[in-house]
Amino acid sequence: CSDDFLDRPPEDSFNAAEFYGTPEQVEASTNALYSIPWYDFVSNVSWCIGDLASGTGRTWDPRNQDFDNFAITGEHNTLGQAWTSLYAVIAQANAVINAVPLAATGIVPESTINTAVGEARALRAIAYFYLVRIFGAVPIIEDNTLYVDQSSIPRNVVDDVYRFIIEDLEFAAANITYTKTSAPGRISSNGAKAMLAKVHLTRRNYQAAYNLSAEVIQSNEFDLMENYGDLFITANDNNIESVIALQWTGSGEYAEGNAVQSLYALPNITGFSDGWSAIGPSLDLQDSYEDHEQDDRYHATIMDADYYYSEINGGYTVPNNVNAQGTLKAIKKYVVGKPEFIGGGAMQSYPNNTYILRYADVLLIHAESIIMGGGGSVGEAETSINKVRERAGLAPLTNPVFEDVFQERKIEFALEMEHWYDVIRMDTADAIEYLSNVERGTWDDSQTPPVLNSKMVTVTADKLLFPYPTNETINNPALLEDPVKYYND
Amino acid sequence: QNVSVKGTVTDATGVALPGVNIVEKGTSNGTSTDFDGNYQISVPPNATLVFSYVGFITRETPVSGKNMINITMEEDMQSLDEVVVIGYGTQLKENITGSVSSIKSEDLVNIPQVSVDQLMQGRAAGVSVTLNTGQPGSAVSVRVRGVGSIQGSSEPLYVIDGVPISGDSRNIGTSGRSIASSSNLGDDGAGSTGVSPLASLNPNDIESVDILKDASATAIYGSRGANGVVIITTKKGKKSKGTLTYNTYVGVQQPTKMLDVLDLPGYAILQNEMNEIFDLNEQVEFLRPELLGPGTNWQQEIFKTAYLQNHQLSFSGGNDGTSYYLSTGYTDQQGTVIGSGFDRISLRLNVDSKVTDRIKVGANLTASRTNEELILSGNSRGIVSLALRNNPAIAVYNPDGSYAGPTTPTEISLAVPNPIAEIENTSNNLRRSRLFGNLYAEFKLFDGLTYRTEFGGDFGYNKNDRFQKSYSYGAITIESNRLSKRREDTDFWVIKNLLTYNKLFGDKHDVTFLVGHEAQESAWNGVVSTGVGFISNDIPTLNLSDTDGDVNDEYSGSTALESYLSRLIYSYDNRYSVTASIRADGSSKFDEGNKWGYFPSISASWKISNEAFMEDFTAVQNIKLYGGYGEVGNQNISNFAYGSTLNAVSTGLGTGFLIANFPNPNLQWEESRQTNLGLDFSLFDSRLNTTIEVYRKLNSKFLYRLALTDFIVGGTGPGSIQPPWVNLGEMENKGIDVTLNYNTTPSDNFSWNSTLTFSHYKNKMLELVDGLTIFGQTNLDDTNQILTITEVGQPIGMYYGYKVEGMFRTLEDLENAPIQFGQPVGDDSVVGRTWLGDLKFKDVNGDGVVDGDDRTVIGNPHPDFTFGWQNNFNYKGFSLGIFIQGSYGNDVFNAIGRSLTATNLTYRNQLASVLDYWSVDNPNASHPRYTNNATNNILISDRYVEDGSYLRIQNVRLGYQLPSKVFEKSGISKINIYGSIQNLYTFTKYSGYDPEVGSLNQDALLMGVDNGRYPTPRTFTLGLDVQF
Repeated sequence: CSDDFLDRPPEDSFNAAEFYGTPEQVEASTNALYSIPWYDFVSNVSWCIGDLASGTGRTWDPRNQDFDNFAITGEHNTLGQAWTSLYAVIAQANAVINAVPLAATGIVPESTINTAVGEARALRAIAYFYLVRIFGAVPIIEDNTLYVDQSSIPRNVVDDVYRFIIEDLEFAAANITYTKTSAPGRISSNGAKAMLAKVHLTRRNYQAAYNLSAEVIQSNEFDLMENYGDLFITANDNNIESVIALQWTGSGEYAEGNAVQSLYALPNITGFSDGWSAIGPSLDLQDSYEDHEQDDRYHATIMDADYYYSEINGGYTVPNNVNAQGTLKAIKKYVVGKPEFIGGGAMQSYPNNTYILRYADVLLIHAESIIMGGGGSVGEAETSINKVRERAGLAPLTNPVFEDVFQERKIEFALEMEHWYDVIRMDTADAIEYLSNVERGTWDDSQTPPVLNSKMVTVTADKLLFPYPTNETINNPALLEDPVKYYND
Repeated sequence: QNVSVKGTVTDATGVALPGVNIVEKGTSNGTSTDFDGNYQISVPPNATLVFSYVGFITRETPVSGKNMINITMEEDMQSLDEVVVIGYGTQLKENITGSVSSIKSEDLVNIPQVSVDQLMQGRAAGVSVTLNTGQPGSAVSVRVRGVGSIQGSSEPLYVIDGVPISGDSRNIGTSGRSIASSSNLGDDGAGSTGVSPLASLNPNDIESVDILKDASATAIYGSRGANGVVIITTKKGKKSKGTLTYNTYVGVQQPTKMLDVLDLPGYAILQNEMNEIFDLNEQVEFLRPELLGPGTNWQQEIFKTAYLQNHQLSFSGGNDGTSYYLSTGYTDQQGTVIGSGFDRISLRLNVDSKVTDRIKVGANLTASRTNEELILSGNSRGIVSLALRNNPAIAVYNPDGSYAGPTTPTEISLAVPNPIAEIENTSNNLRRSRLFGNLYAEFKLFDGLTYRTEFGGDFGYNKNDRFQKSYSYGAITIESNRLSKRREDTDFWVIKNLLTYNKLFGDKHDVTFLVGHEAQESAWNGVVSTGVGFISNDIPTLNLSDTDGDVNDEYSGSTALESYLSRLIYSYDNRYSVTASIRADGSSKFDEGNKWGYFPSISASWKISNEAFMEDFTAVQNIKLYGGYGEVGNQNISNFAYGSTLNAVSTGLGTGFLIANFPNPNLQWEESRQTNLGLDFSLFDSRLNTTIEVYRKLNSKFLYRLALTDFIVGGTGPGSIQPPWVNLGEMENKGIDVTLNYNTTPSDNFSWNSTLTFSHYKNKMLELVDGLTIFGQTNLDDTNQILTITEVGQPIGMYYGYKVEGMFRTLEDLENAPIQFGQPVGDDSVVGRTWLGDLKFKDVNGDGVVDGDDRTVIGNPHPDFTFGWQNNFNYKGFSLGIFIQGSYGNDVFNAIGRSLTATNLTYRNQLASVLDYWSVDNPNASHPRYTNNATNNILISDRYVEDGSYLRIQNVRLGYQLPSKVFEKSGISKINIYGSIQNLYTFTKYSGYDPEVGSLNQDALLMGVDNGRYPTPRTFTLGLDVQF
């Protein structure tokens, strides 16, 4: 036989060592970083942490109730998906960050390479931002291939994880050449700055948060959608308000779309056997609106009996016995309907975007950083927060304080898997007090009128971070040792 | 002066034999018989005639001046018995130096198993066969002498008439995909998806099965011989006169056992108690359980009596140097779980012909088509599991004929799907069409030197159509129907060129020398198209789908192997025999520099009883001592595993790319070094034949997909990167195989033949890198669970979890016990507190608390020994066969039992035993308190590990051969009728359906895990054999 008889390169995929040789390939290198690796996190865990633990949602669903009860252990499979999915994002981002310059330098324009690397670094930063807020100290991995032979890898101190995030986002802001209009759906330089502002806000670097958010606002690259409800219509994906969002498809292939609708929707909305309404809007959230009629966001977030939605399946009326998880309501936000109305999809894989950051967030970061003394004037803070309120149909505030922004964020981003992170960046005592007093109960509708089964959960400081998955600590016991510094200086 | 001699040559039954060679002894003067067995030859009156014919004892007759010599030739049963197929040749059994077990066709006939791998169970020492599921047509796990590999396939190589076929149903070495899809999500499927690679072969066509067990025997197969080689030889025509045989059987199959799950009143009591304890709203319909009827018996709904039929028509014969065997068969086996079934049509043609005295050609060809209706099993969402867990309060159908199902929001989120609706609304059909066989030509070059060239092929076309209809049950509507069609081509070919030199020197030195070259290629290509949104369920074809939702997938690849092989067999005076072989394999699976592997072996035997000094020693006969050493390899991994690939995916930003795996250019062959020592002897005038073999297999440099921490690879979910394949570790299998065979003295009236096989092996992991531990994981009740651990010093795949020390029954006990999982003591019905009635887990490491570190080995899936015992009794025309088979000392992990005793969720059925649960009023209960949700009581523990030992009466068969005078004028030569019962009874302590669990999808890390396995049925058959 000839020599090449025994040479069998892959016939249905690319050899990774021989790719990234054209500008098109380099530009496409980051596409998948906006969707598939995020699938398990967004579909299964993000809302458990963001809304169940924080108390804006509630459930009896056996897999997820532990988030509501603060009974999560390292054995919890759903929590484990946060760990694996976010690290999958990091692993895939690292592959791009390391492989693209190696393969493309000298062949593809430098700016194209740096833009791709910038996008990958921004997405890696976002994954680390979630990880550090969920788990605290975590291992920083820059090149996964270097760790293949190592069985003991330490975790890194929280300060260094944040420094790593900030360096990634700064690189992204400085190198990405895209704008919202030149590359819809991709992270632009201003998008990276907006995320950086949010990281600084979390770190209480109010001045940096103020400067960056002000810079993003002044760029005029983004604006609010006129109508809050339009934000959650699939056709409006990558609208003017969308700063960073995950980009799913309606291909119908598992994990190429997101499954949030499967968990949020009432039965018979999706066209499949999903629509588990595994989470309902908590009684606390229902109570937090200033006015159910006046605040447009209520109708766009929560399904009440007999509400009508023209955008779902060509017109959908909520059944009058609606009762997701004992709340006598159900969730509307991120519920988009059947594939034929939303450009494809299949069970547990729908094409609608998931917001990571939208312009309303930038405005509220801007307002909060001013209120917390990061610079700017009260007038600027008023302008920013009131833009958000006025869009919702609410009266403007004067001289807003931190609690106003907190309340506004809670309603504005309710069930967008966000509230938890606003809670835990308060002082620990405040966070504990808040979480311990959230109404997590249900309505017992076997009696007329329904009776409140009140439930509150006493939360302790150790519950503000989640445990590492036990399988990981068994595989890598170094996770249980003291975190080490990543940077030597 | 020559005389003319003529006559007729017949066999023992008086049938004329055409083509018999007749030679004047010591000359080249010869002739052969014509079609009617007549011959005529001119010879000197004092000559001696030599009559020879393949398969018959050669006879010599002096002419002594006669003009008419009629000869009756006897079939050479002895020589048939003693020739063993050893791969690229045959050898006399008495000269065999390696470890080979042979199964003859008479042991395999008329057993109602559709596939030959199932038939090997219990027949050969050292060969363990377990049925992974009872689903018709599904794959089995065959382990030759223990477990050889961790993640590569541990299945043996099958060689059918010279064509190698992998026993790996997971197709690890080729496409990496099982050819059947059985899951709702993705195509790789959960649960048992393995369909048997041997299902295409009709067992009735098999003449013999020879199993090469040790490396000195398998080294000639080199890189594919590490897990043993099963050589299957199909029937050939040998009789002079053509025979026509018709075999048939019909049978009924029934489930052997039902589990004792709760009926409706019991279920209502369970729900009421749980609702109260969990502080849930009560279910008003259950307020008076005693008034309720029995409810739905879901097991009765999914199981049925299933029919089985088999027909085979075969023709065989030979003349003028040509022999043929032609057969056609049809098998139809319904499944005992509704919605499953298997049928097969097969054709076989075997021809051998002498073209000239020096040239022989032949072909063995099989064409077959199998159809399988598949259902999901061996999974929490499998049909068996759903039936056991579904609550008896729900009917199968509503009065209006629609499917009954959950209606309230809580019910919807907790109840399991209606299994009948799942079966009736999902069709999953697999049709496999296959043509395989070989063609050869053999040339006698000169004195003992033969050149053989052979082309073999295995060409398959697989169609898998899975249609999920739209339907509704209860308040749930599944509006979108979905059709997935898979079309897969597999092409395999092999070309062999072999030179064999065989000569007997000086009557004592028998030399056989073989050199050969072989090249083989396997290629595959599959297209999967999925369409959704069909207007109706009536016509599921892709052109009728809503094109927006169409998904296309394609996979394609090839592998190649090139080999040089050589073997020398030298026997001296039927006393000493030595075999040495070497094979070099070049494989496309490895990178430059690692492609070639070399596999040598040497073995020898000493037939002590043929020594002169043994002449007077007659108490023990046929004593043979033999032993050998060999090195073989395993390369059964995916192609290009040494490199890294990018998978194209579709994203909201267009086509994207994900890194699929980490590369490892240093990847090389898995090695197995094996030593075998055997002793054969006979007692009681050769009536009791004994074979005892001991062996040691040392497998090293395992091909293993490194289990890296999740934060390096991103877990196993979407977007994760597959860890690299590496070579690591060393594993040992030591064992003993014993075969005892006893025959009564032949007599006309009564005979008894009994064969007992006994196998024992001990598996031990000797080395893994860096103290690595390997966990075997699977999905139980939608949660990924670690079930087994593999670590140095222990056997592979040991059950791993917590030890239970009973239940907390007193406050004192509770307060003095180590803290369990950081939970405070206290009565909290929701979660998070340890209380009376909870399981008391053992603080294994003695650190004063019970936590993840207290997980330990809790069971062993490896048996102490397995055995098979075949008995055949013959009395006049009657024959009785009894086959008993079993396993001792192995544990089973009862995962479905765990699910059925979890008592943590409402709306799910449980075993009746859970009603004896702990409460203040029932402190001596056998079952823990009911706790909501993620209770620690259902952690993986020894509570679910059960003794899986069993003894099974596998087959009892009573036959009667009609006296020939009854039909002698009708042209029929033989009529045989029989009845048999397969899987008659199983003695076991195991509480599930069946202790024979097998490995989930042949995974060595998931042995004996019963996760709603499709139970093996009991089969009653009636059969008839007619020969013309």
